[in-house]
Amino acid sequence: MTLNILIVDDSAVMRAMILKTMHMTDLPLGEIYQAANGQEGLDVLNQHWIDLVIADINMPVMNGEEMIDRMQENPDTKEIPIIVVSTEGSKTRIERLQYKGARFIHKPFSPEIIRDTVRDITGIGVSDE
Amino acid sequence: MSEQLKEILSRVAGETLEKLAFMFSFPEDERGTMILDSAVAATISFAGPFSGTLVMTVSNQLLPELAANMLGVDDEETTLDQQHDALKETINIICGNLLPAIAGKEVVFNIDAPVIIAGVEAIKKAIEDHDNKPASIVKLNIEERDCDLFLFINGKFTLAS
Repeated sequence: MTLNILIVDDSAVMRAMILKTMHMTDLPLGEIYQAANGQEGLDVLNQHWIDLVIADINMPVMNGEEMIDRMQENPDTKEIPIIVVSTEGSKTRIERLQYKGARFIHKPFSPEIIRDTVRDITGIGVSDE
Repeated sequence: MSEQLKEILSRVAGETLEKLAFMFSFPEDERGTMILDSAVAATISFAGPFSGTLVMTVSNQLLPELAANMLGVDDEETTLDQQHDALKETINIICGNLLPAIAGKEVVFNIDAPVIIAGVEAIKKAIEDHDNKPASIVKLNIEERDCDLFLFINGKFTLAS
């Protein structure tokens, strides 16, 4: 199985960094889609099969938390695993995102953190260890 | 408290640059303010238990290196848009990590989108046009290039223990 991944971040450089990091892992990558805000992310989700969403929180147009809320309201997207990659430092906000089912990775991140979190949330590659 | 604040800002900036762009920074307290003719700046404002602005000025030569290191490509392969995006993401991450280091993890801050400031007069304004003096100034040497950080805080604040 390969993973179709949607990366949502308003920074093109950060999206490229996350993509580069994903390629540094041994995860089986399928199609990689990118979006610059939550609304663009929802548009991609409506058009393509996505196995995993990696999203920032602070973004223009629609922030990551609203995108997660909208995903959870939609039966087609509510089960898609979500990893939030953000600078957010507030324990209150992080716990709120975790309550919504998202995993949280703090920026700046290491490739190992991304790999281990993706493995953990998708179950892919865990049995190979 | 100002020394503690300076130590926190210096440490957070150094850790961010190291983890984000594999660049090592060293404090350069004795150096004067960098020459703004060949600099670009980014600012980011925040509001929460206290509000303020972080301003980061970097030498023009540092920009392509920063973007290239973040993207894992050669310096000459980066565009100006990517260089500005890299600087904005860097100050965003420094600010996001700085605020809980100052105020603790229990409090909530709203952080605005970072903005690029170019041109000597505009950068001077970004550094000088505040109601208060900077709560902290950190001067760094990053890979032999200059980088200054100015933290402006409005109102009173206390460092989290």
